[in-house]
Amino acid sequence: MEDDRLWKFSRPAWLNSAWARNVGVYSAGALFSLAFYVLLDSAVWSKSALNQSDVHVNFVDWLPFIFSSLGMLIINSVEKTRLSGDSFSYSGSGVAWKARVVLFLGFAALAGGMAGGIVVFVLKFAVPEVGWPMLGMGVENIVANALVGLSTVILWISQNMEDEYSYNLSL
Amino acid sequence: MPTAGLKTIIALSFVLAVGFLLVILSCALWKVYYPLLVVATYVLAPVPNWVCGRWANPDDFVESSGNAVLDLGRFCTGFLVVMGIALPAVLAHSHLIDIGAMVMCIIGGLLIYGTIISFGMFFQEEQEF
Repeated sequence: MEDDRLWKFSRPAWLNSAWARNVGVYSAGALFSLAFYVLLDSAVWSKSALNQSDVHVNFVDWLPFIFSSLGMLIINSVEKTRLSGDSFSYSGSGVAWKARVVLFLGFAALAGGMAGGIVVFVLKFAVPEVGWPMLGMGVENIVANALVGLSTVILWISQNMEDEYSYNLSL
Repeated sequence: MPTAGLKTIIALSFVLAVGFLLVILSCALWKVYYPLLVVATYVLAPVPNWVCGRWANPDDFVESSGNAVLDLGRFCTGFLVVMGIALPAVLAHSHLIDIGAMVMCIIGGLLIYGTIISFGMFFQEEQEF
C-alpha cells in the first residue's frame, strides 16, 4: 500500500483490472452514441409528420451538443500523467501548467454545452409554453448533453485506471 | 479458447442467415428499406477495433500511446454497436418504420453482430506470445 494516499478507502481490486477498464471505455462510447441518437431523434421527429406545431429543431439546438462533444474531445486528449507531473523532473518548462489550461478549456466547453442545453430548453420550449409532445424535443436536448457529460466522466475514470497492473494485462 | 469444428461453422452460418432474414423481412414486409442500414452498422462495428489493434503495435512496450489508440477503437466500436439499436428506435419513434419492423430489425442486427463477434472469437489466430 502506498504511503502518499489521501483517502481512507482504497479502490476496490476489481476496479484495477484491464477488464473493468475495457468495459468503461466501451460504455463511454455507448453513452456518447446514445446522446447523439437522442438528439438526432429530436431532429428527425421535428421534421416528421407527427410534429404539427411551428417549433422545429434547427442549428441552435445542435450547438450545445457540439460544444459538449468538443469539450469531451479536449478533456480526453490530454495526457493525464502530465497533469500531476509538476514534482517530477521530466515535466519541465511548464507542461503541467499547459495541461491544466487546456483541461480547463475542455471542462468549460463541457459545462457550457450543458448550460446551453438548459438555455435552449428554457428559451425555446419552457417560456413560450410549448405543449407536451413538442416539449420532448427540448427535454431530449438536456438529456443528450447530460449523457455526453456522463460519457466523459466514465472515459476519464477508466483512463485513470491505467497503472502497471492493468497495463501489463492489456498487452 | 475452445476448439471450433464443423458444427460451429454450421451453427454460426445458420444464425447469420436467420439474422439477415429478419432484417430483410423487416424491410420488405412494410416496403420501407431504411432498416438495411443496421446491417452496414453491425458489419462496420468491429472494424475500428481491428484497425486500432494493428495500429497500436503491441510489441512496443515503451510507448504508452498504443493504449490510447486501442481505447479510441473501443470507443468507436461501442458507438457503432449502440447505433445499431438506436437507429431503428429513432426511425420508429418518428413513424418512418413500423414498431414491428423495429423489433425484427434490432433482433436480426444483434444476431448478425453476435455471429461476427463469435466467429472472431472462435477462429482467432493464436498470436499470443
